[in-house]
Amino acid sequence: MHLTEEELNEYLDNEVQDRARVEQHLSSCEECAARLAALQTLFTEIESLPELALSHSLAAPFKRTSNLPAQLPRWLTLTATLQAALALIAIIIAAPFVSNLLPALEMPTYSDVFLQIQSQWTAWLDILSLRSQIQIPTLPEIPVVELSSLVITLTLAGISMLWLVGNGLLLRNQIK
Amino acid sequence: MTAPTDRDLILRARRGDAEAFGELVTRYQTGVFNVCYRILHERGEAEDLAQESFMRAYDRLNTFDIEREFGPWIRRVAANLCLNHLESQKVTAPLDEERDADESQKPEAVTEVRERGEQIREALASLPPHYRLVVELRHYQEMSYDEIAAELRIPLSDVKSHLFRARKLLAEKLHAPD
Repeated sequence: MHLTEEELNEYLDNEVQDRARVEQHLSSCEECAARLAALQTLFTEIESLPELALSHSLAAPFKRTSNLPAQLPRWLTLTATLQAALALIAIIIAAPFVSNLLPALEMPTYSDVFLQIQSQWTAWLDILSLRSQIQIPTLPEIPVVELSSLVITLTLAGISMLWLVGNGLLLRNQIK
Repeated sequence: MTAPTDRDLILRARRGDAEAFGELVTRYQTGVFNVCYRILHERGEAEDLAQESFMRAYDRLNTFDIEREFGPWIRRVAANLCLNHLESQKVTAPLDEERDADESQKPEAVTEVRERGEQIREALASLPPHYRLVVELRHYQEMSYDEIAAELRIPLSDVKSHLFRARKLLAEKLHAPD
């Protein structure tokens, strides 16, 4: 019984289980020896493929750079998760203080800002319609919503958490 | 003055020495480009991915074990990038059509060796992408079946069947009577 294609391939790849048995068969079977020689020729041909030259040097972009960013020590990159956790804890601790400080800043509410935009827009429309006598659509009415400092704080905390999670994922890929 | 070793260049590159990393790129760029070209068979894409391989290698230089050889490592990075690229492209079209006509490789008086090389390259290009990958990893990167299975995350039986079928197809193309 002749050797299978799989056995011949595995033999040349040095992956065959029973090498002695295969060699014993090859020494007494001309047909299998010829098949092995043909396969060996194919291996030689594949591996003798000449290398192609590049059309341009890939080193140029690196050599043009004066200095690359120095690599962070591995132990430091591994602390990324710890850093993210610490930042989250800091945000949670800071939230009540931020919530107390925000009203004192007297920042305009979103509704104030939208009202300003609307009145500005209306003023422009008036000027334009007087000159060109054309009908220009008006901005839709925006409901007046007063956002409390608590809502703003929670929103900011939520955004920060998303940022942290996102960065954590990015850093995880870097660490890999 | 002797040329710096790869190890020296890697240590300098880790400290941000662009010149040292550029020297490493110069040493290995042809090998890396050829890995990409054998898998993708498109010069532009192969050059882009070869460049990307070095960028990726720089980002991961800290994780590289300095006791290992840089060449096999960077070639493996390139093969992985090409694998991801093929997966993202879901290449199904016959590659003969995509293959660029590389005029620089076709001088007027081609030698017999070059002609044979071209035939082998064309035969490789005609293989399905997953067959080309196992041929690349086995024949050019000298990885074992187990290593290929781990690298491509496929069963050992698939590695063998892809490799043996690929060789059968190559033999049919290269040894077919004219």
